[in-house]
This record gives sequence, C-alpha cells and structure tokens, in this order.
Amino acid sequence: MNEALHERARRARERALIRACEYRQRHYANGVWFRFRRVLVDAAEAWIIGDDDGNRLENGGRVPLPVGRELAPPIRVFFLSKEELEAISDRRQVPARLCAELLHAGNLALLAHAGVETAKYTSIACTSATPRRK
Amino acid sequence: MIPRRLEAVRPVASTIHGGYTSSTEESLDFRTRLLRTLRAVEPVLGVQGVLIAGSEVPNLLQPDAESTLVVSQDVDIAVPVQRHAAVKARLTELRGLLRAEAEPSVWLPQSPDLIEVNFIGMDTGNERPGETYVLEDSELPLLVFAHLSLLRPGKALNVEGLEIPVPRPSGLLLEKLLTDRSAEKGDRDLLVALGVLLVSEPRDLEELETQYRGLSAELRYAVRSGLSMLSLLEPRVQMPDPTPHRALVAGLMARLERLEQDR
Repeated sequence: MNEALHERARRARERALIRACEYRQRHYANGVWFRFRRVLVDAAEAWIIGDDDGNRLENGGRVPLPVGRELAPPIRVFFLSKEELEAISDRRQVPARLCAELLHAGNLALLAHAGVETAKYTSIACTSATPRRK
Repeated sequence: MIPRRLEAVRPVASTIHGGYTSSTEESLDFRTRLLRTLRAVEPVLGVQGVLIAGSEVPNLLQPDAESTLVVSQDVDIAVPVQRHAAVKARLTELRGLLRAEAEPSVWLPQSPDLIEVNFIGMDTGNERPGETYVLEDSELPLLVFAHLSLLRPGKALNVEGLEIPVPRPSGLLLEKLLTDRSAEKGDRDLLVALGVLLVSEPRDLEELETQYRGLSAELRYAVRSGLSMLSLLEPRVQMPDPTPHRALVAGLMARLERLEQDR
C-alpha cells in the first residue's frame, strides 16, 4: 500500500468535508468573505474615503452595501459613478483585493466595471443599522 | 480554439522568485524541456483517453505551445482508471525517466532536459463519483482526484509532429476553479484557470455553462468562490496577471449567477 498517496487522498477528502461545511455555513458569518469578495469582483477601482464623505453620501440617500455591516468593525461600502467619485477630493485608491489597507478602511467607494449592475447589492435596505463614524 | 499567447508577469532583472525560473531564455528552455518530456512519454499519450492535465495545459494551448508560463517544473498525465492497464503496459517504453521508489506514480527525469512526470487518475466512468481515492497498484498506483472527472478530451494538439492530448478548456477551467488547495498552491491553480480562460473561445464558455449546470449546488458555489478569489489575486511572476482581466472574470461570474437565477 502506498502510504504517501493514501495520506494525500485523506487530506483531499478532509478538504472536501471542510468545503461542504463552509457551504452549509455560507449564509452565516463564515460566508461574509465570499460576499465581500463578490462585491469586489465587480469593482474596477476601490477608493478609501473619509467619514465626512461617507456621512454625506448616506445622508444624501446612498445606501451602504449590506455586506459592509457584517464586518467588524463595519465598512461603509458604496458603489459610485465616476462623477460622484471625482467629486470627492479626499480619496485614496487601494488595490481591489482583500489587503490590509482595504480592510482597515472605514468607508470604501467602489467604481464598477462597465456594464455591471450594482443595484443588486443594495436591494436590502440597511440605512438605520449602519453605525455612523464620527 | 484559436491559440493565443499568454502574457506572463515579467520577473525583475534575472532573479529567481518563489521557485519560478525567471528569464525569457529559461522560459523558452522550459518549452524545450516540456516538449522533450512529452516525447519521452509519447507511448502513454497514445492510449485513448489519456490527457495532459494541470498547469502545463495553458502553456500547450498557446501558439506553437509557446509555454510562457512557468508554474511548476512537472507535468501531470491524467489516466482514466478504465485505461489503467493499457497505460501500465506501456510504461516500459518510457525513455529518460525513472519511477520514483517512494512514490511510484511519479517518474523522475534522468537528465536536466526533461521534467518530472506525475501520473494521476481520473474517474470519468463514475465508478466512485465525486470521490478522491487511491487506485492501488504496485507498478502504477494512482491518486484519483474527484474533480478530474470534469475533464473531457479536446482536439489533440500537434506540436513539432508530436500529438498531445489535451482536455477541453471548459472542464479544465472548472476543475481548476474548484481547487481546494490553499495559499500559494491554491493561487497557482486559480491563475492556471485564468490562463485557460484567456485562451477560451465563446463556445468554450457555453460548454462551461452546460457543465456548470450539471454540478451540485455546493460545487457551483465553490466555482463562484474560486472565481471571486481569482479576481482579487495579486500578480505573480511568470503567471498571467489577473489585474487587466478582472472585468472578464466579473463577466463570467455574472453569467454563472444568471444560471443560478434560472434554476
């Protein structure tokens, strides 16, 4: 019997079990990473913006994406048009990936790839529960 | 399929980074080694159903098998479990490679102009569907990977007179997106998926949709999860850079999600 192959097979089966478990947990906290990555997939650009601009956007009726509230501390995530983004003077671009810089942001403004429909992300209202940053 | 050259991230100067060879000369040399290795295992490649799998496929699918990506220094040969006996019978015809004592499914090069060969199993006949298991054999044991059953034979490539059986892009793309490996190895699998996506034609993606529909809900989710990770990967030396192709990945994700809504 080839022990090395059996060990690799055992590890592969173990990973499959973990994946099955993660799938069952996808609607809970564990699934937030997929949901957050999914949002970033649609983002051509990611920009960190300040609390004042985040508050202004929210007060103006922009709904932060629900997935941002699932993170701790929460991140207010907005998809903006190019014009809206350019109107924000205090902004800093970060790579659209799960890097430390992006995860430490309090407010994120995303610019979608051309043709991407972003309304799907805000179909669930989340205005009241999102903590505002001072 | 129309072959396309894959642009790999260029290394800085002439350094070695993370085990990847780094200069263009070495990359071209890798192509020579890859093709020489495939010629050395040609008797096995002639067995019906045997396919080159894994990271070398995007290299081979480029024009004239240009092999601009240097993912790993080995080549995987997928053996249908139903053809195991036929492949075993031809092992004596291999030249320049020697079976590794500790791991008989691995054949080691006997000279630097060849690369390592790994024989892996695929169970397309669904004898043990969805399961990763070991096919025991004293001469050629095989680790049979569950998701290799997604591979379907494509049109064989003819490179310098050598017939190379490769899988259709759709199945290989799904198989790579379903990687359950983590960290560096998982990232490499996903970048191989990108390499396959970049040489895929519209009809390959239609075929991918058909195969995707046939997967379980769990695996469909895993495919989408893999795509999301691929979109956010950092560039790596000698691999295709995902950054300029993120819109393409987003488009494929949207297509797969539409299939979910149609269910």
